[in-house]
Amino acid sequence: MNNPHHLNPTSLKSRFTTRFLRALTKIRAQKPISSSSPTEIFRRYRRIKVAADKSMAYSVRSRRIWSRAMLWKLRSRSYRRQDPCSGRRSGKTNQAIMKKSSNENTTTRREDGVGFVEEADELRQLVPGGETMNLCNLLDETAHYIKCLTTQVQLFSPIGKG
Amino acid sequence: MDVTVLDRQQATYPLELFASSVPLFQSYLGSGPIVELKRPEAYLGGDGFHEFVYFPVGGGPEFGDSEKLNLVPPDAAPGYCISRTSSCQMTAFHAASMKEEREDMILEKMESTTGSGSRESFTKRKAEVVADHKSKDKRIKSEVEGESEVKTKCSTQVSRNSSKENSKACEVQKPDYIHVRARRGQATDSHSLAERARREKISKKMKCLQDLVPGCNKVTGKAGMLDEIINYVQSLQRQVEFLSMKIAALNSSVEFNVENLPIKEFPAYVANFPAAAKLPAMPNLTCFQLNPMQKEAVNCMLNETIHPPLTATEGIASASVSIPEQALSSSTITQLQPFSTWNMDPQGLYNVYDMGFH
Repeated sequence: MNNPHHLNPTSLKSRFTTRFLRALTKIRAQKPISSSSPTEIFRRYRRIKVAADKSMAYSVRSRRIWSRAMLWKLRSRSYRRQDPCSGRRSGKTNQAIMKKSSNENTTTRREDGVGFVEEADELRQLVPGGETMNLCNLLDETAHYIKCLTTQVQLFSPIGKG
Repeated sequence: MDVTVLDRQQATYPLELFASSVPLFQSYLGSGPIVELKRPEAYLGGDGFHEFVYFPVGGGPEFGDSEKLNLVPPDAAPGYCISRTSSCQMTAFHAASMKEEREDMILEKMESTTGSGSRESFTKRKAEVVADHKSKDKRIKSEVEGESEVKTKCSTQVSRNSSKENSKACEVQKPDYIHVRARRGQATDSHSLAERARREKISKKMKCLQDLVPGCNKVTGKAGMLDEIINYVQSLQRQVEFLSMKIAALNSSVEFNVENLPIKEFPAYVANFPAAAKLPAMPNLTCFQLNPMQKEAVNCMLNETIHPPLTATEGIASASVSIPEQALSSSTITQLQPFSTWNMDPQGLYNVYDMGFH
């Protein structure tokens, strides 16, 4: 009733929507909705948020650095939840990977010669996987990340408006 | 003497054409300041050089018609311009880019600024250039002139002005290496050239980001733009969090079949959730580990339920309206201020934010 136009079935929007809806049904199937206590809502919110992130990352596959980093983070988190020991291992491997890639980019990371290191670092913290990117890649990834975030917001926002 | 020298180089380009082509040349100048670079013969009289710099703006549209080097008047011998400019394909060289101020990386073989005394060096440079064009195989090659003929740059101010408005580098026809023109006073070693290439790329990407982020046009300077981008990304992330919180609160026992669900009906399904009316008064929020804004959000949602909403969706809608107001009063207000400069766009939450501002 809101969108008279039909979506391209292979577009990012449609991929994300189908995945997210699937995750949503799974979440609601897991727990009965009868309890609306704050903890319940909060837990559900966390799960929904993770589902949204995961759906987005999976829709983008591994084509982007940030999606790869996000998928990595999600997977390591799930591993850690299953097995606390493996969490340490995966944490170490993650650090090793990050360090390796950051060594490759170190020459261009800290001193870009353009003079805005603080903002770049802040951006790196915002974009997943940004710590290992040089400024050039960071800007690319930011652009794509912004595009995906706006897609998410577009899809979520009609909820409140009915 | 000069004529013979020049004729040797371009046999097909008679000298008398120069005078006639100058006015034509000027008409092309609106498109790009690179023009003078193609016509070193025109610099034979150094005083005439300044004419080329202050070009009329109306010449722009002409230029945009073709991507090739139309800087040379049409009646010029093609051989002439090709021999000079074969290395430079102005693929990205359109009128719009001219207005933007770029760094001065021109894939240009010809020295743009020579006085009359340097004609010989000019031709020597041309010969060098043509030879170099065949022989060099480095990735990035700085101008031979830059290294050896630094002294022969003329009317520096003019050249600097013109070069400042020059467009970005063009690709060589031979994909092996990129030719780069160094600005006066700039180093020409490979490091600084690579550095400049990087900065060019970065500024290009910043321009793309500028299009994505609303309200970036008002900010000038890279640092300010980066701040805007950071704020925008933060706000987007917060919006997603807030909306997913809304979904969590709205969730009810309504089942829907994903496979049969057309995407456009997704909002309709969610809007049917009557769960909003079931929101009980939440006694305490200490169990929540929320950041301040989320706390405010939940607080407001609670406050809304105390005064019972008319319908589920209306309740949530009104709650969502008041939430940005509350959020404004929180510590994030300084970061949210720039949002008011964003244009109203159809995205639902932006409308909500705007409503919260009024």
